[in-house]
Formats: sequence, structure tokens, C-alpha cells
Amino acid sequence: MKILRLSFFNLRKNKREAAAILFLTLISSFLLGTFFSSVANIPKVFDKCFEETGCADSALRINADKYRDDFYGILADDFGIGDIRRGSMLYATGVQITRDDKTYTMNLNFVTESTERKFESFVKCSSLSESEIEKLEHPIWLTEYFMLNDGYEPGDTFTIVAGGRDYPFEIAGFYKCGLFADAGYGRKCVLSDRDYLLLSAVYGEEEVLVFNGGERFDYSEYTEKCREATSENMSQICRYWSKKDQMDNETGFIMTLIYLSVFFSSVNIAAVIFLIGHKITKDIEDQMQQIGVLEALGYTSKEISLSYACEYVLSGGAGSLTGAAAAVFFAPVMNGICTYFISRRYDCPPSLLRIIAAALTVAVLTAAFAVMRSSKIRKIPPVSAFRKGIKSHHFGKNVFPLDRLKKSINLRLALKGIFTDLSSNIGMGSCMILAGTAILFCASTYSFFADSSAIFAIVGAEVSDESVTLMNGVDARAFREDLLTMPEVRKVNLTAAFSGDITVKDSEEPGGAFVYDDYNETEFIHTKYGRFAKYDNEIMITLRRSVTEHRSVGDRIVIECDGGEKSYIITGIVPSTVNNRMDLYFTTQGFIRAFPNVRPNSADIYLNKGCGRKDFEKKLTALYGVNAKDTAYSAGSGGTLEERIKAAADEKMAVLISQYGVTDVDYAVKIGDSVIRGNSSSFVIKEMSSPAVELSSSLEQISSVTKAFCLGAVIFVSIIVAVILSIISAGAVKRQRRDLGIMKSMGYTSKDLMIQIALRILPAAVISAAAALLLTTYLNKCFWFAVFGVMIPDDLPVMISTAAAMVIFCLLVSYISAGRIKKISVTELMTE
Amino acid sequence: MIPVLRTEKLCKSFSNGGTQQHVIKNLDLEIMEGDFTVIMGASGSGKSTLLYALSGMDRPTLGKIYFGGTEIQDCSNDQLAVFRRGNCGFVFQSIYLLDNQTVLDNVLTGAYAVQKNSPALIKKVKDTLARLGLDEQMQKKYPNQLSGGEAQRVGIARAVINDPKILFADEPTGSLNSATSKEVLDVFTQVHENGQSIVMVTHDIKTALRGTRTIYLRDGSIVGEHRMPPYGSDDIKERRSALTAFLDEMGW
Repeated sequence: MKILRLSFFNLRKNKREAAAILFLTLISSFLLGTFFSSVANIPKVFDKCFEETGCADSALRINADKYRDDFYGILADDFGIGDIRRGSMLYATGVQITRDDKTYTMNLNFVTESTERKFESFVKCSSLSESEIEKLEHPIWLTEYFMLNDGYEPGDTFTIVAGGRDYPFEIAGFYKCGLFADAGYGRKCVLSDRDYLLLSAVYGEEEVLVFNGGERFDYSEYTEKCREATSENMSQICRYWSKKDQMDNETGFIMTLIYLSVFFSSVNIAAVIFLIGHKITKDIEDQMQQIGVLEALGYTSKEISLSYACEYVLSGGAGSLTGAAAAVFFAPVMNGICTYFISRRYDCPPSLLRIIAAALTVAVLTAAFAVMRSSKIRKIPPVSAFRKGIKSHHFGKNVFPLDRLKKSINLRLALKGIFTDLSSNIGMGSCMILAGTAILFCASTYSFFADSSAIFAIVGAEVSDESVTLMNGVDARAFREDLLTMPEVRKVNLTAAFSGDITVKDSEEPGGAFVYDDYNETEFIHTKYGRFAKYDNEIMITLRRSVTEHRSVGDRIVIECDGGEKSYIITGIVPSTVNNRMDLYFTTQGFIRAFPNVRPNSADIYLNKGCGRKDFEKKLTALYGVNAKDTAYSAGSGGTLEERIKAAADEKMAVLISQYGVTDVDYAVKIGDSVIRGNSSSFVIKEMSSPAVELSSSLEQISSVTKAFCLGAVIFVSIIVAVILSIISAGAVKRQRRDLGIMKSMGYTSKDLMIQIALRILPAAVISAAAALLLTTYLNKCFWFAVFGVMIPDDLPVMISTAAAMVIFCLLVSYISAGRIKKISVTELMTE
Repeated sequence: MIPVLRTEKLCKSFSNGGTQQHVIKNLDLEIMEGDFTVIMGASGSGKSTLLYALSGMDRPTLGKIYFGGTEIQDCSNDQLAVFRRGNCGFVFQSIYLLDNQTVLDNVLTGAYAVQKNSPALIKKVKDTLARLGLDEQMQKKYPNQLSGGEAQRVGIARAVINDPKILFADEPTGSLNSATSKEVLDVFTQVHENGQSIVMVTHDIKTALRGTRTIYLRDGSIVGEHRMPPYGSDDIKERRSALTAFLDEMGW
């Protein structure tokens, strides 16, 4: 009781500091609790969803035109997998979706209802009645994502744009989806059989084998067996997808944010520990005489030290418990956040056990540190305490002597002040290094995401204004020359659009291929190390492949191709964020060495500033006839008989060209005496898209969330820094009331003294900012590589100006917090 | 003679639990240049309160204070601080040296509040300290390495270093033994001989003997004044009996 009474007395006396520690422990406990709870719950959401939908955990997606029953047989026979469900699915990349005059792009998959029922149990949710749904002309069932994230409702129009044409669907409702529900591999949409048939002319079809593979299934072994049985290069026609991939894809971003929250929580805990250490040390120094009196009154030093520790156990404990309670009450909000990020309804109750464990961790850490620090009292005998300890007896070296004053007396006195309290300054500096690193990291990340061109620079792929894939047989180089004569066109680069993956010898990771004549002409592909590939025996690889496979510039890499193997010298390492970050960069001639049948068949078009992309698309369509994919879906119904026949013939030709690889078609239709003739020469463009729009749209969400997170984190850490500094400044004023009073009597103004207090933190702030700057450049490298496999360039101007702003902020907070100096009355002090 | 400091109807009250306590009442006073004014009175008579009001450490409740030609009673705290640094020096009973600074730095801290750093200033500080019996070795010491008398000499050096118009002292020997007190008082006499105006509060006759003018306060009003020639220029016994007689008359 005696101890508690002393603690309560101290708490009442130091309300401000107690409130600060309560606040900081509350935040730490809240962040850690939320983290522990979410980390446990997120996988449960997937388990629950897969259980509810009856979805299997693995899928093989094979190009429909290459599918063979052997693939099914090997799965069933060689791997002993029983419940294999087979269905067809359309795979559409970069599908443009318009809504309220805004366009965004997305990867989508399309299946019929009967296929969906093979894959999973099709758990639907719709506010429309059965009869209303039946009346819909083009019904579409979307995954929960569209309802949870995009706010679509049943009955809304869902408009897909292909080749400049709108294809409006009516949303019948939403359904829970196991596999194929993420942005990367595409979100699965369920269509009517008729609409599926129509879209099958526009998008490529895959045969999908869905099964519960678990640990029995080894994809490498499977592809090897398939290759032996069918001689097909499986890496080019087949993709494997599992529940784990699905979960990693969907939770990657939120998990990154959650782990970052742990980092901020650590900053917070460091702040709490520093504050407690600082406060106890200073309390002991200041209250030395009272300690002596208490000891004289018969209190043991153990009791006194416990009373100090208890003060912080009480405030820290209260903060931890409140933080835990906040984490529980915040659970519905966290559910909303998780729902938004993983695009599945996340309605898990908070994990109370984990939240309590987090709160206990914070409380125990706080208590342990408080006990450790307060045990110092035991080393002070009563006589020493009465004499105010030995600290007030200063026999050390006179640092910054005033007779060697150079400029400002305020600065000099501030510097002298630092050395009277060096350990606190070191502690504060360490704390500020952590906080500064967090702030600079967030500032640099914010700046990176604020500039879309900076993001484009690390994509590792060309982000041209327009990308046009040409029909087979079209002379790409002639097409390029034609384009270059247009006033809107700034540049055209030819490339070979190559679907499928390239297999690298001695590597388990295949990769996509980028093919350009001259990489110096590209605008978004940059090498981090080495140089661009120039000759046919040279290649560039991604940074991720370089690090994970320990390949460097100058090493050789062997590509497996139809004709065997081809060896290349690595000339450059390219940062990349696309296609699993394992792509390969060939010269056109180099690629032809491995794949002799491939020729440039696609043009990356860069427009002049101020030229409208949509207008340019219309112009291209007008000049080069029609988009084959577009035509395949647009049988005309108006006009004369001859016009209608020509339109129908165009549609047939388009289907033949876009889906069956036909290069030239001639037709003649005899009606009575007249013959209507035509050919496929008007089809030049097979497909047209805008990589810039697609990338911007896919980055929009991640970019805005990251920016919001960074801004929030900067504010959060700044508050922590402000709390620490204000406590330190106010404490300094309280402790040095006598000295400050003397200075005031000498004619120093409150402003002078406030400046001196503020300037005392200047060296710690400057050194911490510099250290934080260095640490951030390192953290930037590690974090971005770990998360995205790239190293983002350090935005030094932003980082340096943020560091400078941080120093100014620290000075300002200290200056304002030292405002208590104004309340010091010299008369009162002198007449005490 | 020109008054350096003048008050008109000076009042100072404190609020004590809702009751107004009038410590200084309608006090008119002039401090002449070169005077060594000693303020005496019983405990609670308002001596220190008057000293702090005169020196701009505290603001009066009513009345006016003219320092030279400037009214200071309405100045803000910072304006008073600026005023003090240019015009006043202070010596306190509790000495109030900055513990973390050496003797030299303590005096320099006071000096830099007014004067710019220069070799001449450093020399002046060192010379002043030496004149007060604090040699170079002593100047490197910290306050807790000094005796009470030495510490108070540092306090005086700090107070006079900016050549203040008036040196205020609040019972400067109050915490010193008699031998040390004499040392300190000799310093005050020495400073006064150099033309420094001094206003000192004391309740010690030996200290009051050093002054040229003694005013006696009772209940916040001046009730008597006694003038003396400069210390050392007359017979000390006669000086003492005259002052004692004045104080007896005042009810001391």
C-alpha cells in the first residue's frame, strides 16, 4: 500500500508524463493487438470461403487449342488425383471497363454457369428476384470484389470495352469465389451460354482442370510428364494456380501494411522505453532529497524504487489495456479494411487471446524496463541522497567554454546544456533515428507513388500510349513507317508479342519475353546494372532473377527452345514488377535465334503531348479498317442486302483470323446474277490496347492506399516525436527552473531561454536526421526488393527536404513546449 | 543630483486566499546616482518586494517607476528582461550561480546578455574577477568548489560586469559567516567607491553601515531616512552609534 500511495502521489504530480506514456503504450498495444489478430484471421477467411464454396485448392489452365486428354490422364493416373473437374474459361487481360465515363482496366475470366457449378458451388447473392434475373438480356454474375470494393449493385450495368466498342452487361448479382478471384490472374465472371459464346470470339479460351492437389501434386514433375507424353512445351501453354498463390496474391498488400504497422509499433515502444528511462533517471536526480527523506523515514530503497517502477507499471498497464480494448472495438473497422484489401467479406471476430498477448507484451516490456531503471535507487545511500547525490558536484571538463564563444550565446549555452544531459540526448537521438527513418521512408514512398512516371520506370516493361498487335502476314515495319508519318505519333517501337513462358535451364522459374530491336529506343526499360543487350547472343534479366538465381552481368544463361538450347550472355539487370518479375529481355535477332518463326508483330506507339488517345484510336480504326476482334462480335444488321452480306462476311473472316490463325481470306457470294466479292486485306490490326491506361488503372488503388498509409504514418510518427520532445522540453524547464530564473534575472528573455532549450535538441535532431537518411536509403532497397523485387530510386531532394523539415519540426515542438519558461517568476524564485 | 530611479505612489498588493495584502503603499522614492542606499525594516515590511519592484523583476500593482526617463511599470516580461540586462545588476542572498558553469562562464553568461563577444570583454571579466580576489585558477572552478564568500564574489562580479546603472542586492551576506561577510562587504564598498549606485536590502547593521543612505520601511511605507558619508571617510564608532540611534528611533 505504501508503495502504491507513493506511486499515486507521483502520478498526480506528473500527470502530463503519465498521460504521454499511457497514450504511447495504448497505441503500441493497439497496433500489435490488431496485427496479431489480423495475421491469425486473414488465412481463416480463405479457409472459410473455400469451405463455403466447395472450391478445390488447385487449378491447371491450359490453352484450349493445345489441350489433350493426356493432361487429365496424367493428373489422375500418375498423381492419383480423383476429383478432377474440367471446364472451359475465357481469359481476358487488360479488359477496359467503363463506369460513369471513367475507364479502368482489369484482368477477367469468363465461365458459363454450368462450368462454374463444376468448379465450385456457386454461392450467389442478389437483391433481384428470380423473375427479374430471368428478364435480363445479358446477365453477368460478378465476384464479391465488385460489390465490396467498387460498389456495384445488382441491376447495374457492367460495361466492357473492346476495340473501342461497348459491351454492356447487366449485373444479376454477386457470388463467393474461391480460385480466380484476384487481380493478377483475373476475376472470374459468370455469363449466360449465349454471351460466353459471343465473347469466345473476342477472348482466348482455356481448358481448366480444378482439383484438390494438396501436397501430392508437384507441378514441375507434372509438366515434365506431360512433355514426355505429348512433346508439348508446357511452360508455354499451361499455368498452375493454387489456393496459396491466391491467398499470397490477395493478401500481399495488406500483409505489407500490417507488417509496416508492426514497425511503427516498434518505433512507439522504443519511444515509450526511452521516455520511461529518461523520466525515471530525471525523477531520481530531481527528487534525490525526497528519496533521502523517505529513506530516513524508514522506507527501504527497494520500496522506493518499486514506487517509481509502479508509477509506470500503472500508466503503461492502463495504456496497454486500453489499447487492447481499442483493438477489440476497432475490429469491425479492421474487418472493413481487410474486406477492402482482400476483396472478400472479412467478418472474423477479433482474436481476443492474441490481443491480450499483445497488450501483455507491451505492459511487461514497459514494466521490466521501469523496474530495471528504478533499481538505480538501491545504489544510493541515504546520506548521498540528502546531499543530492554526486551528480550536482561537477568537476568535469568545461565543454564549450564561453570565453571561446564564436557567435550566438544562445547556441553556445544550448550546446553546454547538451553535455549536462548527454545520456538523455543519446537516448532521444536513438529514438529519433527510428522515428526519422519511419518518416523518411514514408515520405520517399509517398513521393514515389505520387509520380506515376516514377512507377512506370520500375515496371520493367514498355508503357506506351498505345499498343497495336498486327494481323498475321501484315508487314510490321511498313506499318511502323506509315505510323511515323502521322503528326500525333512521336515514336513507334516494334516488338514480338509472344504468349507463353520461356524456360530457363537450371531454373524453376520460367519468364515472359520482351523483344526489341534496340533497347535504347525504349523509354521505360532501364538497367540497374550493366547495359542493354545489343547483339543476338546477349540478353538482360530481371533484378529478381539476378538475386534469386545468383546471376550477374557477364554470366551465361541457357534458354530452352523448340530447337534445343541457346546460350546468351547477360549484359544487364532490369528492375521489374510485372509477370512474377522473372522476365527475359532479348534483342529481336537474339529471340529469333531461339524461336526462328517469330517476327515483330506488335507496335508500341508513343504519342506527342496533347494528342488524345481515344481520338488516335478512332483514327487508326478508320485508317486500318477494323479491329478483327471487334468485328468478330459485331455482325451488322442495317443497310442494304449487299451491305449486310459484307458485314456478315467480315464477321466470319474476323473469327477465322482472330481465333483460328487464318492469315488470308477471299470470298465470293452469288445472289442471282450478281456476285459480291471481298477479302481480308482490310484487317491490319488484330488487337489494340493502351498499356499506359491499363497500368495507371491497376496502380490507382495501390497508389492511393499507399499514399494514404504513408501520410497517416508520417502524422502518427510526428505525433510520437512531438509527445517525446514536449515531455523532454517541459521536463527540462521544470528541472532547471532555478537556473532559468537566474538567467532571467540576468536579463535573458523567455524567448532567449526557449531558443536555448530548443537548440539543445539540434545536434541530436541533425545527427538523427542524417542517420535516418542513410538508414532509409538502405531500407528502401531492402523493403522494395523484398516486396516487389525492385529497388526504387532514392528521391534525395524529397528525403533531404523531409529530413530538414523533421529537424525544424523538432526545434519548433521543443520551442513551443519550453513555453512554460514564461511562467517562471524571477521574484518567486528569488524569494523562495 | 539626478535621480537614477524614481517612484510615484508605488503600490504592490498580493492576493492571499481572496484577501488583498498591501505590501507596498503609495511609496515615493528617489535613488540618486552614486548613492549606496540601504533598505531596512522588520520582517514582512516589504523590503524585498520593494527591491524587486524597483529592479523590474516584478511589476507594481499601482504607481509609476521611472528608470532614468523611462517608465517601466507597464513593460511586458520580455521588455523588463531587456531593461534589466542593460540597467540592473543583482546580487542574491542565495547567490544563485549556475552550477554547471565555471566561475568564468557564470560571469560571461551575464556579460553576453548585453555585450558582444570580444577579447576586451573577456579581459574585462577576468580583470573584474581578479580585482575581487578570484585568480585564474579560481576562475576555472565550478560553484560547488567555492566557499560561500568566493561564490558571492562571483555573484557580485556577474552583477557588475555590464556596468549597470544600479546594483541591487538582496541580503547579500545573509547566508555567510561574519568573516566571509566582511570580505563581501568590502567588495561592495570597493564597487561603490568606483561610482556604482547600489540599492541593498539588509537587516544587518554591519552591512547597513556600508551605505550612504538608509531608509526604513514599516508596513510598506518609508517611515525614516538616515544619511551617512561614504564608508571609511568618517569614524566608524560614530557612524555605528548614529545608525543605531536612527534604527532605535524607528523601533528596530
